[in-house]
Amino acid sequence: MLDQQDTPLPAGPPAAPPTRPSSESPGERTTLHISWLQPTGLLALSATNFLLRFVTLGIYSFWGKTEVRKRIWSGIRIEGEPLQYSGTGKELFLGFLIIFGAVLLPITLISLAVSLIFGPESPAHVIFPILLYPLIFILIGIGTYRAQRYRLTRTVWRGIRGGMQGSDVHYAWTYFWSALLLPSTLGWLTPWRSTELQKILTRDSRFGDRAFTFTAKPGPLYRSFSALWFGSLFIAIAAVSIFSLNIDIKMFMPDEFGPKLPSPEHTIKMIALIYAIFIAAYFAYYILSAWYRSKSINHFAAHTHFEGATFRSTVTGFGLVRVAVGNFLLNVMGWIIGLALFGLLLAPVWILNAGGIANEGTEGLRSVAMAVGALALIASSGLFSPIIQARTMRYLVKNLSIDGTVPLGNIAQGEVQKLSRGEGLAQAFDIDGF
Amino acid sequence: MASDPGSKAVFYGRYSDGKSAAASDAQLQLAPDGIAIKLAGHDVPMLWPYASLSSAEPLSEYAIDGLLSSTAAPGASLFATEGTFVRRLAGSAPHLTAKAQRWSNAKPWIAATALIAAIAVTISVFNLSPSHAIATMLPDKARAKLGSHAIASMTGERRTCDDAKGLAALNRLTEKLSKASGASAKFDITVIDWGLLNAFAVPGERIITTRKLIAKAESADEVAGVLAHEMGHGIELHAETGLVRAIGLSAAVELMLGGSGGTLANVGVALAALSYSREAERDADTHALRILKNAAISSKGLAAFFARMKKEELDVGGDSTRGVLDAVSTHPNTVERIAKIAAQTPYPAKPALSDGDWADLKGICGPAKPGMDEDGDGQNDGAEAPAPKKPPPSKDGPAAKKKPLQKLEKRDKAKSGRDI
Repeated sequence: MLDQQDTPLPAGPPAAPPTRPSSESPGERTTLHISWLQPTGLLALSATNFLLRFVTLGIYSFWGKTEVRKRIWSGIRIEGEPLQYSGTGKELFLGFLIIFGAVLLPITLISLAVSLIFGPESPAHVIFPILLYPLIFILIGIGTYRAQRYRLTRTVWRGIRGGMQGSDVHYAWTYFWSALLLPSTLGWLTPWRSTELQKILTRDSRFGDRAFTFTAKPGPLYRSFSALWFGSLFIAIAAVSIFSLNIDIKMFMPDEFGPKLPSPEHTIKMIALIYAIFIAAYFAYYILSAWYRSKSINHFAAHTHFEGATFRSTVTGFGLVRVAVGNFLLNVMGWIIGLALFGLLLAPVWILNAGGIANEGTEGLRSVAMAVGALALIASSGLFSPIIQARTMRYLVKNLSIDGTVPLGNIAQGEVQKLSRGEGLAQAFDIDGF
Repeated sequence: MASDPGSKAVFYGRYSDGKSAAASDAQLQLAPDGIAIKLAGHDVPMLWPYASLSSAEPLSEYAIDGLLSSTAAPGASLFATEGTFVRRLAGSAPHLTAKAQRWSNAKPWIAATALIAAIAVTISVFNLSPSHAIATMLPDKARAKLGSHAIASMTGERRTCDDAKGLAALNRLTEKLSKASGASAKFDITVIDWGLLNAFAVPGERIITTRKLIAKAESADEVAGVLAHEMGHGIELHAETGLVRAIGLSAAVELMLGGSGGTLANVGVALAALSYSREAERDADTHALRILKNAAISSKGLAAFFARMKKEELDVGGDSTRGVLDAVSTHPNTVERIAKIAAQTPYPAKPALSDGDWADLKGICGPAKPGMDEDGDGQNDGAEAPAPKKPPPSKDGPAAKKKPLQKLEKRDKAKSGRDI
């Protein structure tokens, strides 16, 4: 069992609590109850999406992703009623095509042209990426904003759509210049920066015709951030110290015969040590940063308001780490399955070669096996992402609640935002979590 | 179901009109032509025809509840709170099931995949080469540019051999062969001070060969044979075709992975990693024989060179691995190549170069320095260095395409050259 929650729940009796009024009247304030209903059949969906990606050269991934979102959105319940994801695979596909043609293709073609025109030794190879990175940074900012806008306009509850009103350029600019300042502030701008960015995203968000308000100040985050900062410094110093205490510098000192090369066993030991220290240090840092992340999620939620009600999030660093470790293991399992499939598809070629049977007639077979194997490998990326996304969302939603009441009858449909395509940029830069 | 026709059963749900976030209780029935929705305070039920329905998530047999909307009531949504209702609805509106939706979404792309597969099969069955078509369309300037980049990145820091007398001798040989080849442009041949035994055809009618090849050759006829073979690759645009293919493939991979073109930077590496098909090698051999004949140079030199390489291969690999080496090598079987040369009708031939010119060509890289490290591999190669240990028989992939010849050059990083 990949996920204990991934079992069909028995079809229960109608969920409607008997105490609820048969309908809300305008002005009446309701306490909103947020809950999570685990989607069923996610393992089967993972397998189906993989197979369909495989037989469509990967193009089905946009539709597969959409079905996953529909199932996950349906798992989020407010007053027992599901959120609806109304986006389509076609929109995601179009978004991808446009970004492909307008961003990825030109960047690749220009890089190619640079290397062909100026040659491999030219300084153009250094200058071009330097010019390219700021552009990519701004595009990531725009992509983040647009991805949230797309998802909100495609999120519906009780027929009322979400949305976003504001400027993606304003967000991207803030994202860009504040990132430029990060190195010179040794990272200490981070709490201020993330609060500022979250403020733009939250204040621009709409549910129906109503806006969210955001009142968080970065101040309270600085206590946890200094713990993260000094903790990371300590981890780095500890890692370097442990390494230097365990390394025999004399091994590398040149003697009268010139620089020495360490023995193979010694090299293996050193490499193992470096890996062990690196993994341990990374894990320690990960736990620490997850703890900080939980603090900032909860802080932001506690200062996000909607129509007089306030969100409350109770995620913990340990909880986030547990989710991430489970997700990591699921990903590893996906990679192993992908590689196993690749090996299985190439096995006939290896057998033919090893047996000396291969000849000109089998060259075609070899290319076919390589192509199909590579396709299987590509199609298997993100194999278990339906389960991974549901686990992550479940944790976040189960720790989310709304304090106070909301006058549901007063919330009307907002103005229609015409977006005919999905979050191409966010996909291109791999920044879409769900 | 026999006693309960389904349409009579009453289910419960919550209805939102889409004008506000309020919801009200509703009674639902599966009527023959749609869902009948009865709201409190309304006498006449609304009807949402089955064909007009869409659901928030595809209906499944595990459904606990379902969220529906309809083009009959834009903006409105209906939350059916009972799994039984949803499962029965799937029978009346099969287009809402996961299976139907996935099939209709994937169908065009499965068809497109089948079409691409059919095109790929056609290309391979009829031996079409889109890369070759593009290569023939490249303007001469572009090919020349590609060639000079390739040479620059392949030779790196290595010196170009430029002994004046040697160059003059090489020039005489080149001119003779160029003329005999019937190619419109004259070939340009560069000898690199390099301990790798190889020769490469480079885009733009250029050929690179190495000090070691000249050193290993026992007569000018042998060098002429190898150069004629490379000219054959040049005439057929094999290097250009291979580069177009490599660039196309890596551009496709870069695009898929969202890369920035970094792996395309090194044209020389791409060229060195190329490996021609056996057919391409046969074509080059055919050209070589024609060129040699036109130039009145004996093709026995080429045969002798092949035979010596074959012998070295055996010395290195031994008989036991021969089958595997032949199977994985893209070069035609050496015996087959030698036989093809032997089958030529004899023609009057003169030596490719005079004895004096041949001696000059031998010295094109300057006087041989005994005991120098030719490959930069830390080994003292010497002029007739013992062959390094043979690598284990390769299994598959690019490594498998290496010719036996290169087994000699295992330690050289640029060992992947093909071409003789």
